[in-house]
Amino acid sequence: MFTRNIKFLSLLLTIVIMSNLSAIDKDRLFLLKTEEPVIVFKVWFNAGSKDDPKGKEGLAALTAALLNEGGTKNFTYSQILEKLYPLAAGYYASVSKENCVYSGSVHRDNLNEYLPLFIGQLHDPGFREEDFNRVKEEAISYLSTSLRYSSDEELGKAVLYNEIYKNTPYGHLSTGTISSLKSITLDDVKQFYKKYFNKSNFALAIGGGFDENLVSKVWDELEKLPEGDLNKGMDILPAAINGLNVVIVEKKTNATAISMGYPIDILRNNPEWYPLALANSWLGEHRNSSSHLYQVIREARGLNYGDYSYIEYYPNGGRLSKPPVNVPLKKHLFEIWIRPVPNETKHFALRAALRELHLLVDEGISYDGFSMTRDFLKKYVLHYAPNTEMRLGYAIDDRYYGVEAPGHLQKFRESMTSVTRDQVNSAIKKYFSPENMVIVFITENAEALKSALVNNTPSPIQYQTPKPESVLEEDKLISSFKLNIKPENVKIIKVEELFN
Amino acid sequence: MTRYSIIKLVLIVLIMTTTDISAGGVFPYKVHRVNLNNGFKALLIPMPGSGLVSYYTVVRTGSRDEWEPGKSGFAHFFEHMMFRGTNKYPLYDSVTTTIGADANAYTDDDLTVYHLNFAAEDLDKVMDLESDRFRNLNYPKDQFMTESGAVYGEYRKSVTNPFSVLFEKFQDMAFDKHTYKHTTIGFEADIKDMPNQYEYSLSFYNRYYRPENCVLVIAGDFDPEKVSKMVEDYYSPWKPGYVSPKIEPEPKQTAPREAKIKYDGKTLPLVAIGYKYDAFNVYNKDFMAMLPFADLAFGETSELYKKLVLDEQKVQFVSAGAQTKRDPFPFMIYSRVKAESDMDYVISEIEKTIEHFKNNLVSKEQLDNLKKRMKYQFLMGLDSPESVASVLPMFITLTGDIEVLDEYFIQMMDITPEDIQRAVKKYFVKESRNQVILTGN
Repeated sequence: MFTRNIKFLSLLLTIVIMSNLSAIDKDRLFLLKTEEPVIVFKVWFNAGSKDDPKGKEGLAALTAALLNEGGTKNFTYSQILEKLYPLAAGYYASVSKENCVYSGSVHRDNLNEYLPLFIGQLHDPGFREEDFNRVKEEAISYLSTSLRYSSDEELGKAVLYNEIYKNTPYGHLSTGTISSLKSITLDDVKQFYKKYFNKSNFALAIGGGFDENLVSKVWDELEKLPEGDLNKGMDILPAAINGLNVVIVEKKTNATAISMGYPIDILRNNPEWYPLALANSWLGEHRNSSSHLYQVIREARGLNYGDYSYIEYYPNGGRLSKPPVNVPLKKHLFEIWIRPVPNETKHFALRAALRELHLLVDEGISYDGFSMTRDFLKKYVLHYAPNTEMRLGYAIDDRYYGVEAPGHLQKFRESMTSVTRDQVNSAIKKYFSPENMVIVFITENAEALKSALVNNTPSPIQYQTPKPESVLEEDKLISSFKLNIKPENVKIIKVEELFN
Repeated sequence: MTRYSIIKLVLIVLIMTTTDISAGGVFPYKVHRVNLNNGFKALLIPMPGSGLVSYYTVVRTGSRDEWEPGKSGFAHFFEHMMFRGTNKYPLYDSVTTTIGADANAYTDDDLTVYHLNFAAEDLDKVMDLESDRFRNLNYPKDQFMTESGAVYGEYRKSVTNPFSVLFEKFQDMAFDKHTYKHTTIGFEADIKDMPNQYEYSLSFYNRYYRPENCVLVIAGDFDPEKVSKMVEDYYSPWKPGYVSPKIEPEPKQTAPREAKIKYDGKTLPLVAIGYKYDAFNVYNKDFMAMLPFADLAFGETSELYKKLVLDEQKVQFVSAGAQTKRDPFPFMIYSRVKAESDMDYVISEIEKTIEHFKNNLVSKEQLDNLKKRMKYQFLMGLDSPESVASVLPMFITLTGDIEVLDEYFIQMMDITPEDIQRAVKKYFVKESRNQVILTGN
């Protein structure tokens, strides 16, 4: 019974009513009071990479980088590091497509020393030329070397996101491109900061062992930000994807990374989100062996390290074990992530993943699969927000999505007691679309792969180790599974051509 | 659950684990110990109110224990096999899935750690499951062979990272005899051969997965008296029988070693410099002095960082790590240099920094700031049962308990500028020096 779990108060956001906060816009304030000695701050700005001007992609991220790794008007970056050092505290501005979140945490013993630094960085960023040159160079280096050559998985995801959202404000990496970064000047950064980091465009969240006076104090300080308007955002309307559209990024590889997906029309404030999340968890819970794709591709066949699926944008998936917070989108994507497989099995692995998605759409989730995943999620969702920082993150995401009390995670758990298999199967039919996808390969021998894909060439698989007869029988079905990819829908790009 | 390994933690400086000595104790939670006759030990740390429990089983065996030729990478591979079930629970993952547990594991040089986070009401079920797999693991040969494919996949995933290539070369070059010669993931040839090592895997389990070689940490919402009894019931039947690995000591290095390697892709040049020093020992003042030295000489507030990263902007980063291992390992310094032509200059600046610390005392103010930082880093990190449980395995694998925490911090707070100077002079000699430079295409 769900009532047994009522003691999991950790998921409930404690909104503290405070007497002297009358001057504060309550719709923009979130408080989570605990007994911990640590205090966590998050200041959300409605400004993200979607607001990068055309030709200046990467501007939001560079502006944030100068808050992270630049000085203030009063202190150089080096001086700030020295001041923060004994406090074991810091702050960090993180840019996503829709927003920038400036966050920090400190032990309450050190609050008085920390707060002027935390606020000072926002009020009076130094925007020094030497800091600007350093963070800009790092961004260019990330695109030209790290992303292109050091992580094929991240590269595959980056190409997928750019392709799905092309011709929309989401259609570029928050880092930008090499040429756009080169065109950005320090004046551009100053203008971006002035326009978006203003007193009308933020929301504040504080968690941990704070007192009432701190809230007013921080709010008053934020009210001293420049005058400006609320950034109301814009519609995001990615083009519908017709058929299977393949992008092959050609580079020398010892294994092939595969990512695929399409834009999806559902957000957390839609009641169908939770049944769909159950279906997705069964198909591909992130970094979890309960994922069906993991069972088929890794567990039964040993082809790779893991296989997962998502109904929300999930950046930095390689470094996270649970969903990220504060990376909201107006239009999310459905995504399947196949971790690197041996080059000779890439066609087979793609077929295996798409076949499983087809089977799910055609046959629906089984009763056993439904009940197992429902029970799993009831408790597993507890691990999504184990500390105050994550709970605050979810609270301000709730504001973005318009999720009412008791908040997304609590609703998620509660919905797992009432959701029905019919609701799940209905959501699957409505939102999963295996016929219309962007598929990205990071691999070598691109022309040969293209030929095999468009000709539906069988892709039988040889194993180094013995496999059960049931697996071998299923392999016959997988290796001849028709994908119907048209030649005109296959694009080959050299890795050197990306992000220029 | 998805298994993964921490292939290297060398960039992480140990100072993240410290505490408030002035408060009279290093660890702010009460620890209940359970010692069983078979050598098994459990550390119970009640944290009422969260509704969650974190359950860490620390096996004091890592890639260091892979002493037989051709068996590198086996500790990590075996970590994967521990999820393959028993006669009682043939499908381990389905049990953890049913209770919505977050279960995973990692392997490093000196240890393998199995950890779960779950709702407090499931503690009995989890203890039954965990004690069972450590006592009665049973997997068929075909599953063993299939899992080796996943491990190879993990190798393929990691090898695209230039740091993995750098570490692999560095350890191979710096060690001749000791098992630190290979990284945790192992040599590729050995990974390829893993499907043929089923019999060896049974021997590995029988020798190392024994109660005398394992320590359990449970942190979270539970009654310690009740759980003590549970530990006794579930773990007492486990038979002792640990067999120590025959690890050859590394002969003293007598001349500097250097290598240059190519990374098959594009990357900014990397350099790793390591000076051999001592194994973890809180009573060795020279060893302890290396821990603050890493941050004072190479951290974000160091003169070297200001010069190379901020002022001259010659490097993307420079950092150092005082390694805390069971056996001697090098003190490591890393940098990613922006232009290959500046590599020699950057290396010379690193060496100048070391010479500076040999010839000059650190200011007391700097050292005091570092000690204050250490205190708050530790206190701020303990924000959930998982975060509390997760800081302890390193101390457990090095000493078998966490009692050393007290002494560790007492000794650390006692370090003086003179201690640092003496230790730098002792360890940073050219005969102990190792250097690998990696460049891209």
